[in-house]
Formats: sequence, C-alpha cells, structure tokens
Amino acid sequence: MSRFLLKRFGLAIVTLLLLSIVAFAVAQLLPGNVGRNVLGGFATQQSVDIFNHQHGVYGPIYSQYGRWIGHLLHGNLGTSLEYNVSVSSLIGPALRNSFKLALLAFILCIPVSIVGGVVAGLRQGRATDRAITITGLSLTSVPEFVSGIVLIVVFGVALRWLPVTAQAPSGASFFLQVKYLLLPALALTLVLFGYIARMARAGTIEALDADYTRTAFLKGLSRATVLRKHVLRNALLPTIAVIATQVGYLIGGLLIIEKVFNYPGIGLRIYTAAQNKDFTMLETGVLVVGIVYLVATLIADLLYSVLNPRIRYGAAE
Amino acid sequence: MDRETRRRLEDYRRNEAGPIENTFIDEVIAGEMDRRELIRRAGIFGVSASIVGTLLGALGEAPLAFAGTQAAKVGGRIRVGIIPPPAHGLDPHTYMDQGSLETGGIAGEFLTRATQSLTLLPELATSWTPNANATTWTFKLRPGVKFQNGQTMSADDVVTTFKRLVGDPTSQALSAFKGVLSPAGVRKVDDLTVEFALDSATASFPYLTSSTTYQAIILPANYQLGTFEKTPQATGAFKLTSYTPGNGAKYDRNTTWWGGHAALDGVDVTYYTDAAAADAALLGGSIDLIGQIQLTTDRPLFNNSNVQIFSAHGATHREVPMRVDLHNPLADYRVRQAIALTLDRPAIVKTLFSGLADIGNDSPFAPVYPSTDKSVPQRHKDIRKAKQLMAAAGHSKGFSITLTTEQTGEIPQLAQIIQRSVKAIGINMNLQILTATAYFAGTQTGPPSGWGNTPWLNAPINITDWGHRAVPNVYLVSAMETGGVWNAAHYHNKKFDRLAKSYVAAIALKDQRKYAKQLETIALHDTPVIFPYFYNYLAAGSKKVTGYKADALGEIYLSKTSLA
Repeated sequence: MSRFLLKRFGLAIVTLLLLSIVAFAVAQLLPGNVGRNVLGGFATQQSVDIFNHQHGVYGPIYSQYGRWIGHLLHGNLGTSLEYNVSVSSLIGPALRNSFKLALLAFILCIPVSIVGGVVAGLRQGRATDRAITITGLSLTSVPEFVSGIVLIVVFGVALRWLPVTAQAPSGASFFLQVKYLLLPALALTLVLFGYIARMARAGTIEALDADYTRTAFLKGLSRATVLRKHVLRNALLPTIAVIATQVGYLIGGLLIIEKVFNYPGIGLRIYTAAQNKDFTMLETGVLVVGIVYLVATLIADLLYSVLNPRIRYGAAE
Repeated sequence: MDRETRRRLEDYRRNEAGPIENTFIDEVIAGEMDRRELIRRAGIFGVSASIVGTLLGALGEAPLAFAGTQAAKVGGRIRVGIIPPPAHGLDPHTYMDQGSLETGGIAGEFLTRATQSLTLLPELATSWTPNANATTWTFKLRPGVKFQNGQTMSADDVVTTFKRLVGDPTSQALSAFKGVLSPAGVRKVDDLTVEFALDSATASFPYLTSSTTYQAIILPANYQLGTFEKTPQATGAFKLTSYTPGNGAKYDRNTTWWGGHAALDGVDVTYYTDAAAADAALLGGSIDLIGQIQLTTDRPLFNNSNVQIFSAHGATHREVPMRVDLHNPLADYRVRQAIALTLDRPAIVKTLFSGLADIGNDSPFAPVYPSTDKSVPQRHKDIRKAKQLMAAAGHSKGFSITLTTEQTGEIPQLAQIIQRSVKAIGINMNLQILTATAYFAGTQTGPPSGWGNTPWLNAPINITDWGHRAVPNVYLVSAMETGGVWNAAHYHNKKFDRLAKSYVAAIALKDQRKYAKQLETIALHDTPVIFPYFYNYLAAGSKKVTGYKADALGEIYLSKTSLA
C-alpha cells in the first residue's frame, strides 16, 4: 500500500512540475507588455522597465520561470500585476467560493445521480430505466449556460423565488448563502446528473450479471443484502472515478456558470487574469486548479484501491 | 430691455466683467444664443446667477428659478452593477476604463461638474474667471470642504492633484491636458485660489477640470499612490469603505460632505464581466441600477415595464481612422471618401441603437455641440459616387485590407457592417477583432512613428470607442491634429491644425461656429476618420430608483438619488 501511495505521490509531483511549465509558457503567449499594460501608453519606457524589473518580468523566459517557481516554493504566490495586491488575497477567497459551490453541487447531485443510476440499473429495460436514462442524456446534452439561463429566467426573474446572482451579501448566514448558491448548483446538477447516473447504471448492471452476485443469491441471501453487500460495493467503483474527475471541473472549470451567475470563483479569476495579462495571478491560478485536480484524483485512487484490493496489489507488483 | 436691466448689466460690465464676459453679454444682446446656450456659456465663464437671470430677462425668458425638488426618501443602500470591473488599481490619474471611472466617481469630486445639458456646475470650485485671451484661468475654491480623512481642502491639494494629472507620465489625463497645461502652469494664489497659466489659449478650459476629465478627482496633497481603495480620502457624498478587486465595492454616506446629507445610506457595487448576468440581476431584483447598458448587449431591458432607462444625449462615439501615411490605397483621400460613402448611416443607427443616436458627418462636431455648424452637407450613402472615386484613384477593381478593432459593445457588429458595405466597391476587408486589452496594448509614444506600436494607433484602419466630452477639444487636438497623441489616422493638415487652435481659443460662439464650419468641411473632404454616429449614453434601473440622471460620460453620481 505504501509503495502504491509513494508511486502515486511521485507521479503527482512530476505532473505538477509539468503543469507549472505549461501554465508559465501559455501565459507568455498573451499579447502585450506587462508594465506597459499596467502603466498605460503614456508611461516612459524607463518606468515600464522599472515596473517589469520590480515584478520579475525581465530576462530570458527560463530565468523568469525560475524566479517564479522559487518564490512559489517559499510560499510566496507573488503580487497581482493588475491590482497590486497579493495573489493569495485574491485566490484564497475565490477558491473558497468555488469550494462552496462545488460542495453544494455535490450534495445535490451525487445522491440523486447514484440513486437514479442504481434504480435504472436494477430496472434495466423497463419504463423507469428508460425515463431515467433519457432524462439524464437530455440534461447532459444541454450546455450549462443554457440550463443556467433557463433557471434564472424561471426561478429568478419570473417567479423571483431565488436570487439570480450567486454571491451572497457579506455577512450572510449559512442558509442565505445556500439560497444564493442554489440556482448555479442546480444548473451543475442538471449537467452532471446524466453522466454520473449512467456510470452508476452501467456498474449496477455489470455487478448484477457477475458470478459473485449469482452465487450470493444462490446462497439464499436476501435481495437487500445482496444489493448492499455485493452489488453496490462493486457497482460504484467506476462511479467514484468519474466523480473524482468532476471535482477539478467543479472547482476550476466553472467559468461559464460563474459568468452567468456572476460568481467570483477561481474560474472567473483566471479568466480575468488572462484578459488583463496578469501573469502571476494567471499562472498561480492555473497551478492551484491543477493541484485540486491532482488531489481529487489521488483521493479517488486511494478510495478505489481501498474498495478494490486488486488495484493496489497490481500497482505494487 | 427695460431701464433696470440695462442699469444692472452696465454696472456689471463696468465693475466686474472682463473682456470675455463682455463678449458674452454682447452675444446675448445680439440674440446669438438661446436660453440653453446662454446658461451653458455662462457656466464656462463663471458668470454669476444673478447676471444670468438679468440676461434671461433681457431675452424675454423667465428668469432662473430653483425647481422644487422632489422629497427623497432617506435611507437604504442602492445596489449598483458596473460592467466591467476596474482593470487596474484605483489611483484616479490612471483611470482609462469604464469600471475605474465609475468606481472612483462615486466617491470623488471635481472642481466643476458637467451636466447632461453640457452646462457646468460649481463643485469644489465656486467660481472661475479667465484673463482677456483665456490663457490664464483663476479658480476660487469652496471653503470648508473636508476630505473623507478629515483634512480640510485647500489650494495646495488642488495644485498637487493637477501637477500629478499633467506631469506624471502614467497620467491618462494627458489626453486632455497635453499642450494645454504643464506642471509649471499650476500655481497657488492663496489658500482658496488656484491659477492655471495655460500653454495655449483655451476658452473651454473649465470643462477640462470637470467630471468629463474623469481622472481629475481632487485628492489631498499628501495622497499616497495606491491608497485610494484603502483609505477614504476623496470629498464626495459617499466614501469608499471596502473594495475587492473584480468583485465589488462598498460606500457609506459621507457625513461630513459639504453638500449636505445624501438620501442613501450607502452604495453596494457588484462588478460584472458579462452584460447578460447584470441584466438578469436587475430583472431578478438583485441590483437596482446598471451604470451603462447598450441596445446590442442588453436588449431584455428595453421595453420592459419593470425597468426604467436613463438616457443622456451626448457625443459618445466610435471613430474609424484610416492611416493616411502608409503605402496603401487608404493614403488617397478619394478612397477614404469612397469607403465613407458606402455606409448607410440611418440604417446603422436604427440597427445598432434603435434610433437612440445621432448620425455622424465624419467630423468630431457632434450635433449635441452648440458650436457645430449644421449647414455643412450631411454625407449619405452613394455607391455610384463611391465607385467613381475608386476609379479616379486607380482602384476600380478594389483591394484587400484588414480592419483591426476591439471586442467592445456594438463595435464587432459595426465592423461587420463596414465589411459588408465596402464589398459594394470591391474592397475585400478582413476583420481582426482583438480583446480590448490586446487592442490597447503596447506603447503610444516614442519612435519610430511617434505613436509607439499599439494596434489602436498603428493599424491601417481600425474602430475605436470614444467617450463623451462636453466640448470637442480632445477629439480635435488628440485625435486629428498633426502629432496628436491619439491621432490614429496619422493625419496631418496644417490648415486644420491652425483652425483647431483658433477654435479652441475662440471665446465668442459665432467665432467657434465659423471655425467649426471650416474644420467640418476639411474633415469631410480629407476623411481621415469616419464618424458614423454619436450615441446616447444609457443606464438602466429598477422602478425603485428616483432622482438618478445618466451622465453622458458614465459617471455614477448618486448624491441626489434615493430608493422609493
């Protein structure tokens, strides 16, 4: 198990290193000069050069990368070139916001999707199965900005039941925050439902067909026991992997939802940083999202290996 | 004119008025201006309200009276949506985007404030007077004004603010002041008097100190750069108490405001990156006011019974400069004229603004300006003539060219309209639509061309957004004069330069009109820049908002606003 963990961890470090290089290189492709962009067109070249020097934007690209990664390793995320405040003061709240939305989306989405998928699998070929499958497929095929706008128009504008912006006023209570996050979380649930339910359905059908399930029934175990102890435990293995991959998306990839609901999450921060050529914010933001992806995948691998010993033994061999 | 009126005017001429004021009175008596223009020009020259009332009486108009103000409901916090968020820090002299000027303007004040009707109101200055040829202006400051940090405003603060505006190389106010005012020209006379000795005569100088130069927020002399968002230190009715870059800002009522007591308890600003999200927020009741909207991006707000649209007739416009100095067909004025002749301007205004715009005539003289000479023939779509001009220029078969522009408002649609229009005369136009950041990136000064390397000042043909100004000076001096800092067409015409200087220095309205007519005629002939339209500035609010007036430049001025 420890060898498995070490191997996974080592791979994660290498991936992060590669990601940091890619994030840095991509940021270099943005047009314009950082100092010029911040100081404006009338600033003298000398002022621009001084600004760039103060912010580490000088010399060959590899040395700029070296300075940036060196600061990161010392816990210094740098200063936002656009706003002249620490990147951590911008990324911290944005990441917290993204976590809140992701958490609510998960709470709404996962139980419904898994129950829906398992029920569909158990009733394979019947009307319930078809209804769940077709509904899930239809919802997944609708882009989130469409479902988001429909939810806004119906529940925010026409009925006025829920706020159309996702950011609650400062000092809002827990329940008020949930109320503000409900519409975007619902939009995400609609998108993810079909995907997760389909995986749960497929896993259930496969587990139901498996020899061990047949043996369990032949042993005379009750249907409920067979389903709980044999079917669900095996059926949910691929679903866990799918859910883990969605964690990264829910935290770092919600630009569209964040734009539609004007929610200051990390996706929107990275987007505006790219627009404004805010190198430090962009690079660090991408790296943070990469870390979230990696951690989520690592946790999924661990869970997977706990639930399925063949995985960890296979990896250790 | 009755005897009493004549006596009061003569008394004023003898004891108070200088040559400029006397010229102004002569114009009024000669019947060369209507009531609106009289009030506007009285504001420019700092003529007192009592004399304006006397002059109105002489014109046979009802004298000035204070309108009864609607009783405002006190209390509540207004929720304002601003699109987009400020792109940089909030030091006022660096403002160059809508988000910044709106954010800073809620807390900040200016020496004077330009109104919707292009009149000037005293703000932190109570009066201003020019010398005989408008090369020196003396401003009297309002006594007892407190900055939000408790300091009392004095001439030192105004002098320091203006020296930064005209002397700091990062100042964006240089677009208004370059060639007009230098740091050495700003001088303290006494604690409440400041003198501006100009580099060149400027009859409309008080406008440059107004809210239309949105960087000119008066700050304490000991203001530290980078602290605007950290400590309240402006003078306005609301003080900025918290600011989260990209997210929002909060303002509380300034209890020490010289103007009294604002009705609202405070202002909560939310920044939006997407117009649709802001529209939904207004329609869903999450915000009360959107600082700026456009027909092309905010259609759901129009003809909606729950929304009120605030409109300000102004000179906001798009310019289509064509480089006159490149070795391509655009160097020939006939080709530039031909391109301008392909545009169906009434249809463009109808499509993009539903009629809420004036048609442009390829000069910066918008119909809203009193000095605009409307006898200059309007340019209409004329494909036959355009083809003749192309043939005469040796380009009857057309050519290919790339139009570069920015992803802002309706500009991409305008670019497509131009692309389709010029096809009729054989021009194959490619479009390069950049983000606003990329479009304005790069240098704007220095060699080799004098306009650096920024796309918006160097592309062969482009479209750029221009904000409203109460007088067309910036458009003339910065965008069209030889060597102008924002002269994207690289246009040079000595006669035009001479006339522009004369226009800017002209004190009498009839002189301004005389020079304007010549400038309009030259611009129409040379067509270095197409001015397709001047559109109304629009804001939107819920029905709860009362007492709000849109500002043609986009300032959000809330001291008289309340929530029903």
